[in-house]
Amino acid sequence: MKAVLAIAAAEWRCWQRSRLAVLAAALLAALLLATTVLTTLRLQAEATERGHHQGQAEAAFRAQPDRHPHRMVHYGHYVFRTPAPLALFDPGLDAVTGQSLFLEGHRQNTAMFAGTAASAGLGAFSLSPAWVYQALAPLLLVLLGHGALLREREAGTLAPLLAQGLGGGTLLAGKALALAAAVGVLLLPLAAAAGLAVGRGESPAAAAALLALYGAYLLLWALLALLASALWRRRGAVLAALASLWIVLTLVLPALAVSGTAAGGGAAGKIETDLAMLTEVRRLGDGHNANDPAFAQLRAELMAQHGVQRVEDLPLNLRGVVAEHSERKLTATLNAWAQRQQAGEQRLAQRLAAHGWFTPVLALAGASRAVAGTDLHHHHRFLQEAEALRYSFVQGLNRVHAQQLAYADDIRRSSDPEAERRTRVAASTWQLLDRFRFEPDAAVVRIARAAPQGLMLLPWLAGLLLALAVLGRRLQP
Amino acid sequence: MSRRPMNAPVRATAPSGWAALRREARFVARERAVWAWWAVVLLLATLAVASGLHEVAQQRATIARLVEADRADRAAAQQPLQDWGSVAYHSFHFTHEPPSDFAFAALGRRDDTAWKHRIRLLALEGQIHERDAGHPVLALTGRFDFAFFAAFVLPLVLIVLLHGLRAGERQAGRHDLLVATAGQPAALWRWRAGLRAAGVFVVAALPLAVGAALAGTAPATLAAALALLAAHVLGWALLAAAVAAWRRPAELILAALLALWLLLAVLLPAAGRAVIDRAVPLPAGADILLTQREAVNDAWDLPKADTMAAFVERHPEWAPFAAVQRPFEWKWYYAFQQVGDQRAEALSRAYTEGRHTRERWAARVAWLAPPVLLERQLQRLARTDLAATLAYEARVRAFHAELRAFYYPRLFRDEPFDPAALAGLPRFEPRAGAAYLVP
Repeated sequence: MKAVLAIAAAEWRCWQRSRLAVLAAALLAALLLATTVLTTLRLQAEATERGHHQGQAEAAFRAQPDRHPHRMVHYGHYVFRTPAPLALFDPGLDAVTGQSLFLEGHRQNTAMFAGTAASAGLGAFSLSPAWVYQALAPLLLVLLGHGALLREREAGTLAPLLAQGLGGGTLLAGKALALAAAVGVLLLPLAAAAGLAVGRGESPAAAAALLALYGAYLLLWALLALLASALWRRRGAVLAALASLWIVLTLVLPALAVSGTAAGGGAAGKIETDLAMLTEVRRLGDGHNANDPAFAQLRAELMAQHGVQRVEDLPLNLRGVVAEHSERKLTATLNAWAQRQQAGEQRLAQRLAAHGWFTPVLALAGASRAVAGTDLHHHHRFLQEAEALRYSFVQGLNRVHAQQLAYADDIRRSSDPEAERRTRVAASTWQLLDRFRFEPDAAVVRIARAAPQGLMLLPWLAGLLLALAVLGRRLQP
Repeated sequence: MSRRPMNAPVRATAPSGWAALRREARFVARERAVWAWWAVVLLLATLAVASGLHEVAQQRATIARLVEADRADRAAAQQPLQDWGSVAYHSFHFTHEPPSDFAFAALGRRDDTAWKHRIRLLALEGQIHERDAGHPVLALTGRFDFAFFAAFVLPLVLIVLLHGLRAGERQAGRHDLLVATAGQPAALWRWRAGLRAAGVFVVAALPLAVGAALAGTAPATLAAALALLAAHVLGWALLAAAVAAWRRPAELILAALLALWLLLAVLLPAAGRAVIDRAVPLPAGADILLTQREAVNDAWDLPKADTMAAFVERHPEWAPFAAVQRPFEWKWYYAFQQVGDQRAEALSRAYTEGRHTRERWAARVAWLAPPVLLERQLQRLARTDLAATLAYEARVRAFHAELRAFYYPRLFRDEPFDPAALAGLPRFEPRAGAAYLVP
């Protein structure tokens, strides 16, 4: 063990003397710092703005004057998604999905105003701390690790070391320890960002899971560099091989996986789903028209139940009953189709995620978004929670419509101003709107969701450790 | 072993011109690593082009399905209706931006912005920001289209291929011999780098040309794309060869070139985008929608004459018909929809203008970052850039104006409903010159 530590310490001293290594580490640190600060500031501004808009929308709804409750069904409401605390490290899908949604009766709208859609078109990469770790940190580890054994060979110190009875395994373990320590240092900015998120209400477990994920990923690259350093004898070849590997694993394969996944057939979009659904919805009838034949049965049942002959004699306003009934049936259909569409999107995402076995960065990115609460699940849950809110206030209004308005007034309100006045309900009714705040899932749920993709890194790590162990036993000068 | 005296002029017997080229060609032909990289480039370019063609075919199939489903849905929606107001309320119209004849090479913003909408006569601001965009995870990760491959991956291939040109020979101990036996040492490295880079260009351009032939790309578009690609390869080859001339070990040259790539392909553009997005703020989308919604909803409670006055300001031709008698009239309903758009107009215009401004600045910044410049130019040729998205939005707005022009005379003059006249409903015409035509 002492030997391992001594070797690791020697490796560190060697890096400290290398101007290239120090410069590269300093640049990466500066980049991480800059992206963390910028992303944090941007998210803070967005969170404030969306919180402000949310409050404004809620206040506007509750401040509406006396009016017919169905007017409020169409007045509708807006909900805004506030970013998760860890989004300051990994903004994930937030930038490419809409962050605000209009809620109204009889419709489920799409989430609007995604950040990237209005952004200047400048290349394929957007800098977030997570992206810097995923794509650029491996380069620093390649730079540090590629010379680990090569240098001993070049300097002719490998033969004396081995001749002194130092096992190849011990030597490799020392080098690996040095690199692992480098990974530990490299994780400090992430730890700081995660700490910042914990300060804003994030669970420490999620922060720890994120550290573990990135630690495993960076270790993987460190071991890859070490392996290449032990395998080849020419420095140029080692570095070229590692650079090529980086190009293939972090740039080419993830993008190819996307193209391959898309080629396997995309998920049906919103318009396509809507059109398929509309055919079905049309059979349900128009909830605005209580005389629609689709509601004849409902009317007959209601009149039999209350033992009345005329609709006007019902203790409830038939129009409101029909509105509530049809909203319920319509929403069941809308939700079934929305679930179908979301399941299609999840299947596509899973097909993409399966490529993570071949390209660690894809696995890590997926797991990282899951832990940060910026993945597809959270986008869908935002849509689902918005829908739940929509249904609750629309049905609340429909119940008011059914219970507080006289049918005789309701049918005459377009022609009789007095009847119209009586169909207005008090503004205090609008307090029925619930407050909307989007929160990420519990940390345990997020970590469990990240596990399948996080575990994809393990075969890589195990394979690399095995290869290094085998190599350590037969290490030749 | 050589019997030549040490001071004999070597150059006199050395090859020059075509002979030097032939000699280098023989060298290159024997280098397995070069062939391997050419094969990789050929494979990647083929994959990029093939997946692009497949995606475009899928998008066309989607559009064809949607055009048909939209027509059927509109017919079914209109069938029971008896008046113009209800017809306008229930008739949605599918609008779309078909992929161009070169979209397969650069899918660009088609992944993260909406290229299809369904709109009706109601206030447009409530509809045009709906986004039926692509799959978010795919959009975030980014696909492997030819533009991405050529702009970002190809320079890296050239760097790996060319960085060790001299240092590698130096380390192998052949450097001085090579220089000594070359006609002109400078020409030697030029040929050496030139042949490798030319090979890269050929194997990258070949699949693009085949794809263009399959997609029916306009020859001028393909020619422009090939010229851009050639300039890009030439530029990176020159840069790599220049740095490779540095008398340093290969790994240092590689590190320097990778750092340059990072700077030009990643850091400068990303920083540029961050600066532009900050320097050119857009009105919050929520403000556009809230303004529009408030205006539309307030109209129910306002005196109808107020709404009609605001409407007539924009449409004086309907002033004689603007009186509203009954508590509900469709012309009033659509008038306040339009007034809602009018209220949000300033914000909406600022949102569009802001995006145009961002795009203009992006075009300037791209000159500092050649990979992004190439990607943007290819996206421009493919009409998949932000400018194309904005142009499509403008066409949707124009189509909405056509719908209004169709319905307003019927609503304001209270014309009797005539189902036969529905055949004259405006149809959204996708961009002229698109390879895809609505059947």
